[in-house]
This record gives sequence, C-alpha cells and structure tokens, in this order.
Amino acid sequence: MNLDARRYVILAFILMVGIIYTSRLFYMQVVDDQWVLRAQEIAEKRWEITPPRGVLFDRTGKKIVSNRTYYNLMMVEAEIRDLDTAKFAKLIGWTREEVCERFKEIVRGEGTYYNKNTGKRTPNYQKIRAYPFMKELTLEEVARIAPHLDNFPGFYEEVTSMRSYPYANGANIVGYLSEVSQEEIDEDHFYKPGDNIGKAGLERFYEKELRGRKGIRYIVTSAMNNAIESYADGKYDTSALQGPPLKLGVDINLQAYGEKLLKGKRGCIVAIEPSTGEILALVSSPSYYPNLMIGKRNISMYYPKLILDPNTPLLPRPLASEYPPGSTFKLLNSLIALQEGVITPSFGVACNKSVVGCHNHASAGNLADAIKHSCNPYYYAVMRRIVQQNRKKSVFADAEVGLNRWVDYMKSFGLGLTLETDITGLRPGRIPDVAFYDKWYGHHRWAFSTIRSISIGQGEVTITPLQMANVAAIIANKGWYYTPHFVKSIGENGPLPQYRKKHFSKIDTKYYDVVIEGMRRVVYEPGGTGRRALLKDIVICGKTGTVQNPHGEDHSTFIAFAPMDQPKIAIAVFIENAKGGGGLWAAPTASLMIEKYLKRKVTEKEREKTIIEAVFSYMR
Amino acid sequence: MRKGDSLVAHMDWALFVTYIIMLIIGMATVYSVAYNEEHPNIFEYSEKYGKQLVWLGISLFLGLIVFLIDSDIYRKFSVPIYMFTLFLLVIVLFTPKINGASAWLGIGSMGVQPAEFAKIGTALLLARFISTVNVKQQNIQTVLIANAIILVPMVLILLQPDAGTFVVFTSFLFVMYREGITYDPLILRVINRIPGIRFKETWVGGHFIPILFVVVILSIVTLLMSNEVLEFSFLPNVKVPGFYSVVATLFIIALLFLIFLRVVSARRERGRATLVVVLGFSMAAGLSSMVNYGFQSLRQHQKDRIELFLGMKEDPNGKDYNRNRAMAAVGSGGFLGKGYREASVSSVRSNHVPESETDFIFCPFAEEWGFAGTFVLVSLYMFMLVRIIIIAERQRAVFNRVYAYTVAMILFYHFAINIGMNIGFAPVIGIPLPFFSYGGSSIMSFSVMMFILLKLDSQRRDVLQ
Ligand SMILES: [Zn+2]
Repeated sequence: MNLDARRYVILAFILMVGIIYTSRLFYMQVVDDQWVLRAQEIAEKRWEITPPRGVLFDRTGKKIVSNRTYYNLMMVEAEIRDLDTAKFAKLIGWTREEVCERFKEIVRGEGTYYNKNTGKRTPNYQKIRAYPFMKELTLEEVARIAPHLDNFPGFYEEVTSMRSYPYANGANIVGYLSEVSQEEIDEDHFYKPGDNIGKAGLERFYEKELRGRKGIRYIVTSAMNNAIESYADGKYDTSALQGPPLKLGVDINLQAYGEKLLKGKRGCIVAIEPSTGEILALVSSPSYYPNLMIGKRNISMYYPKLILDPNTPLLPRPLASEYPPGSTFKLLNSLIALQEGVITPSFGVACNKSVVGCHNHASAGNLADAIKHSCNPYYYAVMRRIVQQNRKKSVFADAEVGLNRWVDYMKSFGLGLTLETDITGLRPGRIPDVAFYDKWYGHHRWAFSTIRSISIGQGEVTITPLQMANVAAIIANKGWYYTPHFVKSIGENGPLPQYRKKHFSKIDTKYYDVVIEGMRRVVYEPGGTGRRALLKDIVICGKTGTVQNPHGEDHSTFIAFAPMDQPKIAIAVFIENAKGGGGLWAAPTASLMIEKYLKRKVTEKEREKTIIEAVFSYMR
Repeated sequence: MRKGDSLVAHMDWALFVTYIIMLIIGMATVYSVAYNEEHPNIFEYSEKYGKQLVWLGISLFLGLIVFLIDSDIYRKFSVPIYMFTLFLLVIVLFTPKINGASAWLGIGSMGVQPAEFAKIGTALLLARFISTVNVKQQNIQTVLIANAIILVPMVLILLQPDAGTFVVFTSFLFVMYREGITYDPLILRVINRIPGIRFKETWVGGHFIPILFVVVILSIVTLLMSNEVLEFSFLPNVKVPGFYSVVATLFIIALLFLIFLRVVSARRERGRATLVVVLGFSMAAGLSSMVNYGFQSLRQHQKDRIELFLGMKEDPNGKDYNRNRAMAAVGSGGFLGKGYREASVSSVRSNHVPESETDFIFCPFAEEWGFAGTFVLVSLYMFMLVRIIIIAERQRAVFNRVYAYTVAMILFYHFAINIGMNIGFAPVIGIPLPFFSYGGSSIMSFSVMMFILLKLDSQRRDVLQ
C-alpha cells in the first residue's frame, strides 16, 4: 500500500473543489445575469414620485381644470400590532366585515409571482410593503381619522393629488381620469397599478403631455423595506416634472351659457373661431357634473348611474352623434352646383310640391332666395343637375360619375371622415358614396331618383354637430379651415402642428358670396326661415334645418356665423326632437350664443327666457 | 537564544504571510459589512469591527504564546488538552440555548464556542495516537480507537446541536485515510469469514473514505443542481439543465486529470492511470445520473422533504431564504464588483442576507469585489491548503504530519462548505469562513491551530523520530 501517493488524492480533491468553485463563481458573477436582476429586486427600489397633472386654462386665462390634495390611508401589515378591528372599523366608519374584506382584497389584488425555474407561484403581496387601505380621503375625512392613527400602528396617511374642476361646465370636453387597466400598464410602463390615466376627452387625448414626468429615486432598501440610502448617491435619480399647462380656445363663460340654454333639452352647440379653428364652446346636453367623476370612490358610485341614464350624459354628442344635417346641407349642395357649373346664381325653380313637400312661399327665382326659403323642390333640381350631368349614356353610370364628384367636394369640407380634432370619441358621419349605394341597391341599380333625399340633407347622409360647425366656419372663411381643436397652446408652445395647416374646400372663393347672401336673407329678409336669430346690430348669416326622424318630433338645427363682414364665430346648434323646426329653437339659441360671445352680454332677454325655460318631455 | 533565532529563521513565511493577508482582507470585509456611519472608527469597540480587532489582537497574542512554548508540549499534553475540550463540550450542554443551541460559554458578547477548540484537542490527540501505532500492523483496535477519538466530541457537538461543526469533524477521516488507517480490518473480518476467501487488503476498504465522500458530495451537488437551469447571456435561448452541467464538469475534470497524469506518471503506469480516470468518470457520471433520475422520479412530497433538508425549498423564513439571497448577492457582484462598502444586498444594514458578517461573510466580499475578488480569495485558500500539505509532507515526525493534515482538512472543509452554501453547491449549515467571519471563537481557534502548525514546522529539525 503506497501511503505517500495518497497525498495526491487529497491534493486532487482540494484542487478539484477549487477549480469547480472558480468556474461556478465565474458563471454566476460574469456569465449569468439573472442574479443582478434578482439583487435589484431584493435591494434596490425605485421610488416614483408622481407629479400633479398639468392644469387647463380657458381662452381668457381662467383655470378650468386644477389639482387638489387628497389623502390615502396606507397600511403596512408587518407593523400592525394587536389591531382592534372593531375599533378601527368604527374610526373609519366601516363595518368589521368590510375591514376584513378590504384586507383580503388588497392581498388578492397584488396577484402572484410565477417562478419559471421552479414552476411555483408565490403571492406578490408582502407584509412589509405599504398598500393604500382607503383611497382618496378628503381633508375633512383625514382630519377626523389621522389623530387616532397613533393607536393603530401600521396605518398612516399619505398625500396624493387629484383633479378638481372649479367650473361645473365642459365635462364632455375635459373628460375624466380613472385607474389604469392592466392592458394600459402592459402597453406603457409609465403606469403602475393604482395610477390614474385620462379615460375620456382632453384628459385622454393629452394624457402624455398632462401626466408630466415621474420623478424616480433609486434607493437601497433593507429587508424591512425602509430606505437606507440613495443608490449611487442619486446619480440616476430624476426629479418629477409637472406636465405643461394647456390653454384652451374654449371660453368657459360661453360654454357655461350654452349649457344653460340647453338645459331641459337633448342637443348640442358647437362654436368655432373661423380664423383659427379654435373651438369656443362645445356643449353637449345633458351633461354631468365633472366633480362626480373624480377618484375611484366617486366613479364607482356615479359611473353606473351615468351610463344607465337614458339621456346619455356621458356621450359627447357634438363629436359622436351622427345626425342627418337636414336643410343646412343645402348650402353645400348650392356651392357644389355652382362650382360644377350646373347652375348659376340666377337659377330659378318653381316650388312644385308634387315632387317633394315644401312650405308655402313664393317660388325662388334665384339661388339666394332658394336658401332663404329653404325650398325643397329647388334642391331636388340642383342635386339632379349635380348627379346626372349626362356624361355617360346609361343613367346609372352617369349617376355614378356625378356622385363620385359630389363625394369629393363633401370630403373637402371634412365630411364623411373623422376630423383630427384633439379629443377622443369622434365619429366620421357618413357621406354615402358609390360603394355604399352599390351595396344598398346593387351595382347600376340606382340613380338620382333613388338617392334624391340627400339633396335636402336627409336619408343616408349624417354628420356630427362638430362637422356642421366646421362647415359654417368654412363658409365664413369662404373656402378654407383649420381643423377644429381645443388646445391653442401647450406650455410655451403653440398648438399641435396639425392645427397650423390650412385645409381648402374644392369650391372657388367667388361662389361663396351668393350663398352667404342667401344666409343673410334667411335671417334678415321677410320670409326667411331663420328670422328668430335676428340681432339688431350684428349681422348673422345662417341656415335652418328641420330634420325629420322616424323616432318622434323633428330635430331642430341651425348653422350660422357672425358678423357677416369679419366672422368671429361660426356656430352649429342641434336640438333633438324639438317640436317646431330649425327656425323656432335652434336659430334663436345660436343668436343668443353669438351675442353672448361678441358682446359679452345678452340683450334679447325674452328670447333667452323662452329657450332656457323650455323643457322637453323626454327630459322630465 | 539560538532557539529564538531558529524560530524566525525556520518559520514558513509563505504560510504565515498568507495567513496575515487573509486576516487583513477578513478584517476589511467585517469593517465594510458592519460599517456604521455613527461610529466610523475601526477601533470603536461598540461596533463589530472594534470587537473583531480585539479578537485579532488576542489571537495574535495567543499565537505569540504558542510560539514561545516548546512544541513538544502539544504531543505530551495532547491527552489532557483533549480531555479538557471534552469537559468544556459537556459543560456547554448545560448552558441555556442561544438561537436554539447550547454552544456558548462565557458572558454576553465575550462568549466562546468550545466546539471550535475541540477541533484542536481532537487534532492533537489523533496525531498523538497515530504517531504511536504502526499502521502496517493495524488491527481492529487501532481503527476503533482512532474512530472513537473523533466520535466522542462529534456526539457531544451533535447534542448542542451544531450540525456544521459536526460535519467538519468528518474531515479527520481524510487524515486517517492519508495515514493508512482504513476500515480494511473491519471489512476483512467480515469478508474472510466466507470460506475460500483470504484477502490481505481490499481496494474498497483502503479507499473507503474518499470514495464515500465523492459519493456523498456528488449526490448532494446533483440534487442541488437538479432543479436548476443554466443560462448564458451571450448565448440566448440556450438552456442547460443543471444535471448536464454536473456531468459536463465531471468530464472536464476527468480530461484535466488525464492530462495531469500523462505529465506526472511514469510511462508504464500511464495505461493504468488512464483506466482509473475513465472508470472513475463513468462511475461518477453513472452515480450522478442515478441520483438525478431517482430524485426526478420521486413523488412531490418526498422531493419537498429532500429539498427542505438541503435548503432548496421556497420558504421565505427558512434556509432557502438565506441561500437565495446569498446567491443573488454573490452573483450580482459582476466581474469587478460593486466597490468596497457598496454592497447593497448583503450589508448588515440592509439585512437581506442574515448573518452576513459571520457565516455569510463571503457574500459581501463577493458582492463588493466581484469575480476578481473571489478568484483571488479562492486562490489564496488553494495556495494555503497546498502549502500546508507541502509542510505536512516534509515533517519527519508522524505527529507533526498528522497534525498538519488535520489543519489542512479542517480549513478545507470550512472553505468548501462555507463558500459552497454561498454559490448553491452546499446545503446551508452554519460554519464560519476561516479568518474572515466575525466571531472570537473561530478567529482564535483557527489562529491557534495555525500557530501550532507553524511552531511544529519551525522545530521539525529538532525532532528525531
Ligand atoms: Zn319650396
């Protein structure tokens, strides 16, 4: 037995372990990076500081969306000692069961962590972490609870910032915030559970601007989760930055006035400054009180009620409701016919009620009078000339050509397509084209006589009130528009670039004059349909519309701009199921808005009173 | 004063300097881990580094005393020293339990652990015993006495209970193996009862201990790795199951051995050496795959039990907690580490790795110095162990040689288990990392052990045996 050789066995043993350990250390420390991530999970923590959201001002500098301080009641389970649940429940005004249920909800709400190496799931909930036990307490509530929290170790209050709406108006414009969904978290790592995100309106459209930049502090934490020190002396830290203030083109007083006028009615008012495309007011009635939609507690209480309300207060009607435009559409058909050269301003048609119904008026001997009287047979004749230009032998093929040309003009007015307005919830409306009718009636199975109701803005045509107002602005500008938008400046910068680009209609400027003259006659000449919009010292050009609909009374609509020479405001008013047509309800409403905006006061008190006091049956 | 001159002249400076370097690195690590901004002074006694400095001072003072005493005293008084340490091991069982074990003698923070010193007593007596017997004519009595010397303190330590030190005591078996005290007499007695068989020695009996240890270690490592999946950052989508990496490592080791043996061994022995390596590799790989297959085919609750025992189970408050966090700390060190006093996971203040100043002190060191540091540390240990074995083999006295081997093997055990549990290769059993871990008992016992060795070595020429 060679005992001396055994030293080599022992040496080999030792060196083998040394080599194996060195390679294992090399693998762990240099090759495999899972340990770095694991160490970060364990010891480093990002502390996110959420800045208050950017605030919103109206065109006159009034703060219409601001922030308010709220409080969360936080809980750290590991620090809870001998909790008297009955006492605690009493303090926060809950029952014991609710307290226990809330605790379980927090634990469950954190989900589980899946370890891919072992295939096991462990709860994410950690006793040493702080979780909000009650959210969004007001100062009054926290003032009642906080002094007693010393008796309940493991609970403390924390300050948070939430929205506040100093004016009760414009809820459908600004929208609201709500907690992020899991999909939103997955899509954008800016958010973590419990964060708020804009869910509708400007809050949603300008989410990226308004949310600002989160401040991030990297800290080294201990096993008890308390911060020990800044990581790397704060080298990687960033400070929180509040989002820039947004200045809106909206005049909050005009907005409030519009909401007042439409009280008791379903309807919309959209007012635009023609020279800039800035939206001055966008009234959707009925609306809701914006402060109801602040915070999880309020939203869970009021949202179900609002969503179930048959008058749909959450629906931003001016953007999303697609109505037939009615007789206001005749303005566009006039312009297209002039541009196409199928009529001249002196074109006249006898009011023959055998073709289509009309009211009693002297036959229009020219275009301006046809607009004044809103003569239906006249526009059948006009539309026939647009659609059937005898460019093809077959009447069907000919109608195809004519309709195609007509659709092109309509698109140039921003119709049948979704405007690039800076808000969510926009609908395109519908300008029926060849494909649409082919689908409806079959290829070469339709001609003007089939589709004639579009000549008076009925039938298959729908447009939104925002688009109607934009049409008024285009006519006021005699042929061009900026896309209607709300925000005129973001912080130090102007509006988004897409709102600095002029769009042109395909109608030559010269053809607008006669249409505008017709619109003046609507209001200022005897026999005009919009006489109730008349103002003494402002010249309003307008056009009424009475929209037949199968579900009840006619809708009343009116589009206008004023003053005639240098238009400052273009407006569309749409009132649902208003007995009495465009001239009776929409026209005076528009005139009140115009006067309010241009003169800052309303002289037509009687007119104002009639409109405000009108409550339609469906609203009772 | 001729003796005094020879002390310095004949001392093994390489070993001594390595020892001092390790003490310094260890002290620096304790200072880093336990650093308290309010008492930054390293001499601050209220902090752990202040205390550790005192322990270092006491250790070096004890070393000086050891050097001044004639080395023969250890051989002569090995029996009383052994009995005294046994006596302490008995007394300590009657002390109140601290952290679940009756391991401490003394008052407050100045307590000592008799188990640490029992290693020295056992080492001395074992050396004494082996130096008095002729291994060529060993019988059952020799084997039993040698084993009894080890077993008595082991049993007492297990009663505390202190599993870590208990395991460390099996390192003496390697020393016995080196000295030729094997289990052969026992095995032969059984085997030779069979009619017609008359063995003088058996290969298994002779190499029983290393074989046993290879089997045990390989099994444990295979179990620990069987759930792991290795990934490589530079090779995306490549996942190597833990078991394959064990076999691959075995293969690489076998190749290294083949090359090593080709260089070292004589031409005529080459064939046999190659055969041994190939056989060894196939047996090891076979064993590893058997253990892996056996483990994978176990039912879940049986698996759970084994995993819990080895500290692999997901138990946030249990052993695996320490192991996981320790591995995260070590692995996050990277190549150059996070920098001195920059450990974020394993500093005492963050408390993510419990015991990071004692049993898990390798963590903060690895986290702060990265692979560069751990490579140096492992190399230092390797150098120290090889150096001690070189010293052992140059002794004329059997007593000295046996003692030197016990020192080497005890240090090796502590090194292998302690670092092993930081890198997921060993179950979590609490034993200190020699010269690094905070704590008086370990630093004193390892120092005394080291100085006795240096003293014996420096006087090796005086001994004529
Ligand atoms: Zn007519």
